[in-house]
Amino acid sequence: MPDERFDVVVVGGGHNGSTIAAYLAKCGLSTCVLEARPECGGGQENTEVRPGFRIDPHATYLYGGAAPGFEQLELWKYGMRMVYYPSMAGVVTLDGQAANLGSRWRPDLAAASLGRYAPDDQGGAGRMFDILGEAGARDLLRALFWTPPPPEGVELDPKDLPWWKVFRQRLPELWFDELVDMNYLDFLDEFVHWEPLKVLSAIGAWYCGAHPAWDGMLLQAIGGTLLFEYASGAPRGGMHTYAHAIIRAALAHGARVITNAPVGEIVVRDGRAVGVRLSDQAAAAEKMIWADKAVISAIDVQHTFRSLIGRSHLDPSFLQRIDDISLKGGSLFVMSVICRELPRYHGRADAFPDDVYPSCVVAPGDSLEWVRIQTRDAYSTRTGPTALEPEHLTMMICTHDVYDSTRTVEGFHVLSPIYLEMPPPEYDVNGPDGINRQKDEITKAALDLLGRLAPNMTGDNIVDVFVNSPQDSEFRNTGMVGGNWYGIRHSEDQWFGSRPLPELGRYRTPIDGLYLCNQTSHPGGLCLMAVPYNLMHMLIEDGVAEPGPWWYPSEHYIPDTSRMGVRS
Amino acid sequence: MTRGEHRITEPELRILEEFPTRSTFDVVVVGGGPNGLIAAAYLARAGLQVALIERRQEIGGGLSTEETLFPGYYTNPHAFYHMMTDYLPVLSDFDLRVHGLYFVKPNAQAAALFPDGTSLLLCHQLEDTKDSLATVSPADAAAFGRVMRTWRRIVDDLLAPGTYLPALSPIDMIEAMERTDIGREALRLTELSPIEIVDETFDDDRVRALMLYVSCMWGLDPRESGLGFMVPLMIDRAMNKAQCYGGSHKLAGALSREIHKAGGIVLDNAEVTRIIVEHGAVTGVECFDGRVLEAKAVLSSLAPPLTFGKLIDPVAVPAELIEAATHWEWDKWSFFTLSLATDTVPRYRADDPWVDDALMVLLGFGTTDDVLAHYDAVATGQLGSVLGGHATVETRYDPTLTRLPGHQVSFLQMHAPYDVDGGWDAAGPDVTAELLALWRRHCDGVEPEHVLRQSVESPVDIETRLTSMVRGSIKHGDYNPLQMGSFRPNASCVAGRSPIEGLYLCGSSSYPGGLVIGGPGYIAAGSVVEDLAAERWWRTPRFMARYQEQYLS
Repeated sequence: MPDERFDVVVVGGGHNGSTIAAYLAKCGLSTCVLEARPECGGGQENTEVRPGFRIDPHATYLYGGAAPGFEQLELWKYGMRMVYYPSMAGVVTLDGQAANLGSRWRPDLAAASLGRYAPDDQGGAGRMFDILGEAGARDLLRALFWTPPPPEGVELDPKDLPWWKVFRQRLPELWFDELVDMNYLDFLDEFVHWEPLKVLSAIGAWYCGAHPAWDGMLLQAIGGTLLFEYASGAPRGGMHTYAHAIIRAALAHGARVITNAPVGEIVVRDGRAVGVRLSDQAAAAEKMIWADKAVISAIDVQHTFRSLIGRSHLDPSFLQRIDDISLKGGSLFVMSVICRELPRYHGRADAFPDDVYPSCVVAPGDSLEWVRIQTRDAYSTRTGPTALEPEHLTMMICTHDVYDSTRTVEGFHVLSPIYLEMPPPEYDVNGPDGINRQKDEITKAALDLLGRLAPNMTGDNIVDVFVNSPQDSEFRNTGMVGGNWYGIRHSEDQWFGSRPLPELGRYRTPIDGLYLCNQTSHPGGLCLMAVPYNLMHMLIEDGVAEPGPWWYPSEHYIPDTSRMGVRS
Repeated sequence: MTRGEHRITEPELRILEEFPTRSTFDVVVVGGGPNGLIAAAYLARAGLQVALIERRQEIGGGLSTEETLFPGYYTNPHAFYHMMTDYLPVLSDFDLRVHGLYFVKPNAQAAALFPDGTSLLLCHQLEDTKDSLATVSPADAAAFGRVMRTWRRIVDDLLAPGTYLPALSPIDMIEAMERTDIGREALRLTELSPIEIVDETFDDDRVRALMLYVSCMWGLDPRESGLGFMVPLMIDRAMNKAQCYGGSHKLAGALSREIHKAGGIVLDNAEVTRIIVEHGAVTGVECFDGRVLEAKAVLSSLAPPLTFGKLIDPVAVPAELIEAATHWEWDKWSFFTLSLATDTVPRYRADDPWVDDALMVLLGFGTTDDVLAHYDAVATGQLGSVLGGHATVETRYDPTLTRLPGHQVSFLQMHAPYDVDGGWDAAGPDVTAELLALWRRHCDGVEPEHVLRQSVESPVDIETRLTSMVRGSIKHGDYNPLQMGSFRPNASCVAGRSPIEGLYLCGSSSYPGGLVIGGPGYIAAGSVVEDLAAERWWRTPRFMARYQEQYLS
């Protein structure tokens, strides 16, 4: 068999790898995707753990509604379908309160709930979206996520960062200079009055990507919830359907997609990435695959440089910085519960009527102080919650099957995922499997708490429980370093041009011809098709890709004129 | 909550362009199992606009690899090996290796452990098999060598090529078979039951038990005559089992890549609720969310009770098909499967070290009476007093099923009725306990301290996961003389064509049947390209051409 040879080899068939392959194949490049697992999609998974029941072990909502990729790659042709939810989110407290925040389709629900508990916060959550409108929201979101960092040497004043620029244009009446230095917790304390709404907003931001306590990340924290609101739904059948559409777009444009093909090495010759060698475990006879134009690493930055590139090509200061990248912030303990009845919070059928049952509920939403306690748990280097009391266990409980019957069997519901933030297993004082030794205990405490919030969530009503801890997630999905759903911390130190490191912030690497296309680059996780979209700008600059008229760049893209057409 | 509430979202609420509510294709294939995939792949490459529609989130049907031992351990809950990789035309017509598709066919194919401590081994290599049989009966070893020379030719010359060509009527079949010695022997065997064939061929009861089990395990009635020609097929193929490296779903994935490459569409999470027939001809299908896909030809891979009994307006269904739908017999037994993830390699206590290498190990049967008692019980809806089955260490030849170093995935599967007293929810735990006890009697490494995860799938679970396998029918319908050959699914359906214009049948309920042999999809694709005047781009493989020349010309 002759050597396999492609223009571009993509290492990793997760969301980002599949998307860049679809883009490049659409540019007419011969493209090969190599995925280690039996199925592509990475975190866009739906697993039928029990016949008829499908859980979401990782990604769960469509956040990428504003992505140019949907139209540029024409995902509709490949089966993309959505289910839009009348109610996206609610909050429940232990002391008997429950609010339904509805969704952009049903603002009346939030108005009714907040009218009852928090007249001062009327429309609070949806207010920004209302003012922005769909076009404004898309503009702001694209500035935040679908914009490549500026070239080296271009310094931007914080208020001129693309997202603040759009904010100032679109929301002049809300702008004041201090915003750029604020964090979301301060913002909530200042502008929101009802405690459960603060908790919902803070947890929402955290689980959508940016912790509310991170300084300088106010708009990223708000942006996560805006992304959530923008699409207000999930792909029909779950996130894996979205993965299918992307992979099928790549295949339809001629890409080769090979599963069970773990890569053992990115081959570097004279400082240039020229191909890959598959590991001995790969289900392919030909283990060398050459890349004439580029190797794109769509796995995380640490595995890329620690495991796949020979140390002889890298200097120790660079490797130390790679080792020191922070993994904190998105390590999730994920539970999935199969039950006969939906949770009836506080034992009341009318807390959330079935026809507008929130697709996710944040609970217990009693106190912002509890979010701070839980933050200390998740950012400490101890394992898991320091105590298994309610103030350590604020959960996000998702119930997609209310709106998408393909996920369950008639007569049953699937609460999946139920997310709980944890420290990364790497930082556990009891070793990486410390969290797994606490698994049963945490699961029991969380279910007990659920039973306190919703008294019907006990006994026969619970049919089955499945759990993937951050350590399990990392094993299943090696790209999730630290079991972190966005790979590495989303804080300001690791954001935009500094993600994952300043010298890697434009998706290029010290190895010529090797590019990064993983959530460990800007703008991180959430299945946005944003990393590959941003990377495309660089590949065009470098003469690797020449897209057709279907392509349009980010409005905020600052080209690196020194590189234009450098080589092809 | 009812299905009716989950219609297409109102257009004004859409923020993304979606797959259209109405679209037009040349061909729509209902069901993304092996046959639907094969048909769609051939037709898409023939230049036809093809849409394959699947109810589940994953195509593949029985070609499924699922994380049933969540998190971290995958199993193949349905087809866990492939018995026709030597012949499947799709494997030679398409270069599926470019998608990373590889089959592993080990020499140690099936072992049987007996209560007296002896074991037998069916190997890929004939002489290795004879060596094993000789340890209990030199005469049977010799007999096996003798019959296999004929039986292999029955498979190679007749049955394998016949799998991929339209069924012959019984009269044509007899006329063709009468032409050669091999054909006449196949006809003679047809009139015998599996137990009669095994009894006339072998002396030692352990040899008979092994041969009877592998002959009947996928659905032949051991006491029924009329399908005896399948005994050589099942025994020969039991020596040619291949495991799909990376899980059985890889075959589905490779086929779907060919569909996409050729411009076809796969729509999953899209249960078909109606095959639309207007003025006696098919015009398309409607999905549960209201989407309509129009087509000149619709291929259904579902069994008659579903295709004709549920999806088509009864007034449009000819009487003979109403009859076929009403009297269809589902598989006479289904399966109960116990899967384990262990932290060590299961090792059998056997007198032959090759047993640990066997793709499949039979446990629990000492005699043919045991095997018969087991099948008799299961076929009449009982669990019976003899509990046994076949076990496989799936990670033995496919380490990709888990990423955890040194960990293993195995299962023990037994035949089981769909209906049991009190239902499977009640019966399951006892059966599981008995299966575990049986396994532990013969095997080290499956003790509680080594078991990391455990899951079971009952016949009801099979139906829940794959709703086309009604009553857990993995073959979409029983193998009995009235539902085989040109009678599968019905004499009015020839070469995949149904009497309804534009409607084709391409599933396991069509000739020649199920078990991922791929015949129904291949045959139906041939009829569709002919009827739609598309290019038949593929050539008839040599083993089939030889058969056509010798038996059909």
